[in-house]
Amino acid sequence: MSGGDDMAVWMQARANERASGLHRGDKTSRTITSFSHPLSAALSAPRKSNPWVEILNDGGYRSDGRRQYELRDISIDLAQQGTADGSAVLTHGLTQVLVTVFGPREAKMRSQTLHDRAVLNVEVNVLPFSTGERRRRARADRRMLELAATIKTTFEPVVQTGLYPRSEIDVFVHVLQQDGGLLQTCINATTLALATAGIPLLDFVCAVSGGVHATSPMLDLTTLEENDLPHVTVAVMPRTNKVTLVTLETRLHVDRFGEIFKLACEAGQTIHKEMRRAVKSRTSALITAMGGGLGHGPGADVLERDIVMDDVHTNDDF
Amino acid sequence: MASASTSLSKAEKSYIHSSLCSSPPLRADGRSLFDFRTVLLETGVAPLANGSAKLNIGKQPHEGGGGTEVVAATKLEVEDIENGDGVEGGRIICSVICSPSAYPHLSSNALDELQYDLTTILHQTLSDSSLHPPNLGILPNKKSWLLCIDVAVLADAGNVFDAIFMASRAALWDTKVPRTRPIEYQARGLAPSGAADVEMDTESGQQAQKSSFDTRDMIKTAADFELPDYWDEGEVLGGREQWPVCVTLNILPPMHYLDATPSEEASTPLRLLLAFSFPPDSPAVLQAMRLLGPGELTVAQLKAFTADGEKYARELFAALEGKLREEDLRRNVKARDRFAAR
Repeated sequence: MSGGDDMAVWMQARANERASGLHRGDKTSRTITSFSHPLSAALSAPRKSNPWVEILNDGGYRSDGRRQYELRDISIDLAQQGTADGSAVLTHGLTQVLVTVFGPREAKMRSQTLHDRAVLNVEVNVLPFSTGERRRRARADRRMLELAATIKTTFEPVVQTGLYPRSEIDVFVHVLQQDGGLLQTCINATTLALATAGIPLLDFVCAVSGGVHATSPMLDLTTLEENDLPHVTVAVMPRTNKVTLVTLETRLHVDRFGEIFKLACEAGQTIHKEMRRAVKSRTSALITAMGGGLGHGPGADVLERDIVMDDVHTNDDF
Repeated sequence: MASASTSLSKAEKSYIHSSLCSSPPLRADGRSLFDFRTVLLETGVAPLANGSAKLNIGKQPHEGGGGTEVVAATKLEVEDIENGDGVEGGRIICSVICSPSAYPHLSSNALDELQYDLTTILHQTLSDSSLHPPNLGILPNKKSWLLCIDVAVLADAGNVFDAIFMASRAALWDTKVPRTRPIEYQARGLAPSGAADVEMDTESGQQAQKSSFDTRDMIKTAADFELPDYWDEGEVLGGREQWPVCVTLNILPPMHYLDATPSEEASTPLRLLLAFSFPPDSPAVLQAMRLLGPGELTVAQLKAFTADGEKYARELFAALEGKLREEDLRRNVKARDRFAAR
């Protein structure tokens, strides 16, 4: 917790330092020379909804020090969790989501199976300590059911369920930490978990959230920004640029919506690059581990390796 | 208890029984009867909670997964004593959440029942008045802290009770209670010294003779409180040496063993849970005892198992305490040094 607080202090200090114009345009400087009180920065800016923190200040910086179209840090962990067939932990800024996938496997209830394809079940579990305010949600909470239904409809056309009739694919989403952009993180993590489980997909699904502050569009909103701005979440399939999900729960002008929609589709490509990199490095690590077993050991000279390892690096498509 | 995660045939069960009862006793992973698997512990995993810990028993090394994984977090909320549910001196609530990915074969009703069983055992042990921390009150008869302990079981590979209690103890060890300062509001003209401030806090005293920094009497009349320092995490939760650890003795009469894997648990369903607390400079205290599963024990056997359980719990306690102090060091002292050296 001291780490989190330190980071919050440091980020606030950086934001204030930039807002006061000390290091304008100087990307290399990282030292913090002064820590001005947030009130002084707020007093210098014109109209803002929250008197203590500005959404976007005159220098073009947001409350956490990012620029308008800058996405938060993404870190992906594809290590195995428990006995799940596929799992992924995606940390997008301060929002952390763990998704585990089981399947395709025999359905728990035969009555719910379909004769020609697999059934995709999504369950969302928001842990009570994920937000600043502890809230113990019942399993059938409406918001969680809505989130689960949204994820399910996003992935139904993408997962090749026709290959597995009368079976079930279970996706369990656990929200470990929330700081805005929950739906986008859940969708990205689900894509990675399905890929790790070896379930055939038509393409990756990359989601990004965006909002509009006055007339300036912004990408990847934190909780602070989501509470104040109208925001939209867009999920794209990057290779074909097809959109599988657009959600908007607040009011937004049609022109503004067009801008932010285009931006979000482009941002989906950036996230796609990160996800591909993570999956490739995980796959090559696994292949090296397998290759190590085949090439060494007592039966090595007898066993012929018929897999060409170079395919991992030269093959561009997935 | 609907937690049988593996179904075994009679032949497999009797195979496990006979290898446990053989001499020397044999287990599938080569451990002795009283060896624990590797326990990994990390504190401070949930920055939004007041204290948190993640624990994993029996994770495969080198990129492997598996093992019993449990995340525990504590959260402090303010409660009103007069108008709300608050109790003088604060209160504790525990809850356990079982992720469906930990028990993929259970339906959601069975999962709820399992959650309820685990919650009851944890809550009844930890909310006992003998373990109640002294610094959970804020303003006497007005406001107090509600300490919520939430434990999430993300994966179950056997021995989930020990994991839950160890993680709760680690999260409680890590918990910091924010420091509060009582404040009082007084209208103009009422104070004898003619203080003209509408809001009086500790900076301005009530009487000219009393020192303005003396806040001892104010706590009786104070109506509200404030946090003097926004960035301060607070003081450590009191009584943290007392939180209990639990050992599960899996019983196959006449012998017993510790830290069972799922197939071992399915073949020896009779278990004895013992929660021991080791306050410093005092003899050990048995906080809770539960006998779970089908089977029966004689009283003499129970006494012998309890005495053995205390020995195992003492070792577990010492090891856990060592790791918690090491984690404190890593997160506070070393992190501060690294931040200062940036």
